[in-house]
Amino acid sequence: MTYQTALALALPFGLGIAAFGSAFGLGRAVSAALEAMGRQPEAAGRIQVGMIIGCALIEALTIYALVTVFVLSPKIG
Amino acid sequence: MIRTLNILFLLVSTKVEEAGKKAAEQGAPELPNFITLLYERYGKTSLVQFLHTWQNVVFSLIIILILGFVAYFSSRRKTLLPGRLQNFMEMAVESLDNFICGILGPRGRKFTPFLGTLFIYILCMNFLGLIPGMKSPSSSLNTTVALAICVFLYVQFTGIKNLGIVGYLDHLAGEPRDFITWALVPINLPIHIIGELAKPMSLSLRLFGNITGEDILIAVFVSLGVMALSFLNLPVGLPLQVPFIFLALLTGTIQALVFTLLSTIYFLLMFPHEEEKH
Repeated sequence: MTYQTALALALPFGLGIAAFGSAFGLGRAVSAALEAMGRQPEAAGRIQVGMIIGCALIEALTIYALVTVFVLSPKIG
Repeated sequence: MIRTLNILFLLVSTKVEEAGKKAAEQGAPELPNFITLLYERYGKTSLVQFLHTWQNVVFSLIIILILGFVAYFSSRRKTLLPGRLQNFMEMAVESLDNFICGILGPRGRKFTPFLGTLFIYILCMNFLGLIPGMKSPSSSLNTTVALAICVFLYVQFTGIKNLGIVGYLDHLAGEPRDFITWALVPINLPIHIIGELAKPMSLSLRLFGNITGEDILIAVFVSLGVMALSFLNLPVGLPLQVPFIFLALLTGTIQALVFTLLSTIYFLLMFPHEEEKH
């Protein structure tokens, strides 16, 4: 297996794994936030701000994988 | 409006196909903007080469000029009964001020100009890439790193100013008060320093990754739409990218909001802790 083949196989696979993990995290975070909003509609604004911060931090992990793909994908060519 | 712009854009989409072929050799697909089109035609003149090298700066300057002119004309003749432009700007400034003061408290008003400008500037940069012939400057790592370094330096400056140098070092060391926390300082101090340095990195990489991904997605679907009708030899393609443009509007807004919100939180962490308890 050459260097290029290894990269071409590993980059999408790694991105998929990262997306899988952060999808689980996002699902848990959003479901908990929606439940809390359903129980206390008057606190919806504050819960939403917290949820967006949490979602951004979780999503950042997938974005790091995406940035790695951007950086390394010209080397496949 | 975006739809009509898109139709206009599709009229020049044969250029897209050529550019797409060229980009496929170089890596990630990218929509042509007016500077790359000029570069293809007049690539030998030094002015065009200069523009091509500094294209992100040029597009940032376009946004800065537009925002500056809008701010100047909306505040030039202030009246008690505001006109349409003044009314809109007052609403925008007031809602940003409410948003930031809602997190930082009344002392956050000092930071509203910086953080509000960040929000408006990043929002305009993200949306510029959706206008045909333009490019998002935030899809280049240089722009986002510059913004994140500005936030980082201002946050550290605020921390040293609010807490004092001793208090700042105390904050970095995890506020040691008894024997156990003093014993943990060799662990806490590097962790806090790495954490501070990771903040600008995650801010810039998040914005860059999101906007670049979104632009590449739109470029891929534009070239797919052009390829789908290429057997007709018409200068038009299928507008396959239209749903993704709405997605891009959503992510652009959310990323601008997240950048501002996280910067606000970093400022909040640098305020003295006593006031948070009541």
